[in-house]
Order: sequence, then structure tokens, then C-alpha cells
Amino acid sequence: MRHLALVLTLACLLPARAQNAPETPAEAPAESPLARSLALELAGAFANDGFKLRDGFWSGTLDTSKPLFLQVNLFAGNQYWFSAAAAKPARKIAVSIFDAKGHPVAVEKYEDGASAAAGIEPTLSGPYIVRVELLEGEKSDFCLIYSYK
Amino acid sequence: MCIGLFLVAMLPAVPAGAEPSLSKKQLDAVVRLEAVTIPTPGEFFVAIDKQGQPNWTQLFDPKSAAPTSSRERMALVLGILVADGYIAVEAQNSQAVKNIGRDIINLAKKLNVSQSILGRGNSLSDFAGNNDWSALREELEATQNEVKLAMAEQKDRDLVILVTLGAWIRGTDVTTSFVSRNFSPQLAELVRQPAIVQYFLDQIAELPENTRTDPLILSTQAGLSEILGIVIADPAQPLSEAAVGRLAAITSGLVNLICDGGKQTP
Repeated sequence: MRHLALVLTLACLLPARAQNAPETPAEAPAESPLARSLALELAGAFANDGFKLRDGFWSGTLDTSKPLFLQVNLFAGNQYWFSAAAAKPARKIAVSIFDAKGHPVAVEKYEDGASAAAGIEPTLSGPYIVRVELLEGEKSDFCLIYSYK
Repeated sequence: MCIGLFLVAMLPAVPAGAEPSLSKKQLDAVVRLEAVTIPTPGEFFVAIDKQGQPNWTQLFDPKSAAPTSSRERMALVLGILVADGYIAVEAQNSQAVKNIGRDIINLAKKLNVSQSILGRGNSLSDFAGNNDWSALREELEATQNEVKLAMAEQKDRDLVILVTLGAWIRGTDVTTSFVSRNFSPQLAELVRQPAIVQYFLDQIAELPENTRTDPLILSTQAGLSEILGIVIADPAQPLSEAAVGRLAAITSGLVNLICDGGKQTP
């Protein structure tokens, strides 16, 4: 992630990956096309740094004081960005990552209102937990997608 | 957003321990979603590539499956084809990607889900023709997901997990075979995936009885149970070369079992 500054700046000049967004995957409810579109827009910045976008996504409804948790399985040596976005009336969300036992792990964070991302380069392979939480605003649909390289 | 994205690059990483650990109640609330929780073969291969730099052309040995009327077996074979597609992409073999794309469409026709993915087959062929390997990785996952969606819509929801399982078994077959021949503790840790194996076993346990008791599914379940026993044993120690070799033997046996219609046992 050393060249992130350059890459993210370049990302602003390039089309968002959302234009090539794949279709709805199996088992994941497409509850908010807007939230998904916003999440894809955010993830598009990382795609321009060589991150490959997963087709699957996690969506649902966020409420204050009710964070949601998802298990993911990561490989040591890979780099990951978990990008989430919520539709209005959400005003601020956050993405955090924990190890399988629930201990927080070091991440790079991006938070911009109702869009947020967490980047991780795990040193250990295995299950991790992604937390998405609504910090400000009211109950809102959200979508999380991830990319890797 | 662009300014925000630029600024984030200036922010330091958030250190571990900056926030409290999750409570037991929160850990109990963790969900698993196949489309996100289970990594694609491509994601797995990227990690293997970094640690071991395999010669994917040598590893590419696509499987052909005997004809079958079993929808369970067709779903597993579909997954194997998808994994072979990822291997062909790693090997940068455009003709093989086209062939596998065609095989995926033909198998999807037998599952009566081809109409919705014909466009995907064309995209795979186009991307392969242009040697657009990055796009192909995403297109393969999208194709697989579109088949799964079509299966779910036509009351084959129970078979969806078998597509993912077939891909995982084939991906693990190829990688454990490579790791057992090029052993290192770092590579061995990549093929140790107890949470994923447990997920598949949990999903098989929830299948309808007639699917769960299918001889092929029972053999697959037995193979996964043995794999789980190997990968959860002595977690403080790296997997041994012998353990990786056994994983390779089990997954290779399962791939053969799935492809030849049950003439062999794992």
C-alpha cells in the first residue's frame, strides 16, 4: 500500500469501477442499489492500484448502537481493502477489522461521512471479522464489498 | 470524495489495540455469507503466487467429467471448471479459458440456467481473446455467481453451495499438490483453512436429506471431515509436509471422484 497516495490521486482522474459492476451475486440480498453503487465507487479507487474487486457483497440495514459483523477468510501476504457505504439518512459509518478471537488488528482507515474503508495486509492466514457500524444518522441500508491483491 | 481519498493516504494506520476487543455477544453475532466469506480460487492463487511463484502452465491440467444426470455432481463439476478457469488465467492460456468458458455454458445448459449466462460466456471469450487477465478473474467469479443465482431462482438453491465447494476442492487440490512438492511452512499455512472447511461441513449438514445422503455428497463430507481433522490439529505448529501431502491426496481423490462419477474413492 506504499503508493496509495499516488494511486488514490490517480483514481480521482479515472472512471469509477462501478460502471463495470458485475451482476447481483447469489445469496446476497440487493437491498440498496444506491449503497452498493457508492461502495463500488469507493472500491474503484483501489481497483486502480491493482486491487481486484470481489463480485460478492454484503448488504443489509445498519442501526445506531447495533454494529454488524461478518466473517471473512484472508491470506497472509495478500492486501485487502474493505469498502462500505450507506445510503441516507446515514451520516457517518466506520469499518473495523478484528482477528478470529475478536481482538482489533492494525488497519489503514478511510472515513468520509457515509463511506468508509479499512485496509489490511494480514501476516497470518485465516478467519477475520469485519465490523460495520453506523456512527451518526439513522437506520440506513449499507453495502460492503472487498478487493484484494 | 477525491479529496477525501487523497487525505486518507496521508493518515497513519490505526494500530491494533486502539479499540476494545469484541465481546462474546458480539462474536456470537458474526455472520457468514458465502459470497463474501469464502475466498475465490483466484484470491487463493494470488497468495500462493506471492509465496511460491508456481509455474501455472505446468500446474494447468484441466479435468474432464464423465456425463451424468446427477444435479449434485453437475454442480460440483461446475465449481471444478470455474477453478480450472482461474488456473488457466494464471497460466495466461487464452484458448484454455475459452474452452473452459464453453464447458461452463454447456454444463449450465444441462442445469437449465444457460440463458442468463450466455452473455457471460461471450465475455469470457472476448476477455480471453484480448488477454485481459485481470478482467477475466472478475468475470469468472461473476459468471459463477450468475449461475448460482439462476440455480437459486429455479429451486436449486441447495446446489449452490456445491458449486462453491467444487471450486474450493479443485483449488485446494492444485495448490496442495504444488505445496507438497515445493514445501515451506509459509506455503503450508496458506492451505490450512479450518474456518472454510467448517463452513462447508455446516452447509452440507443443512442440505435436504436426499441430497445429504447422496453417495457422492457423503464421500465429499467424509473427505472434508478428514481435512478438518488435519488442519485443526496442533494449531501452534505449522502443517507438516506429510500433512500437506495427505491434504493433496484427499482433494485429488475427491476431484477424481466427482469427475469420474464415483468409480474411485478418495
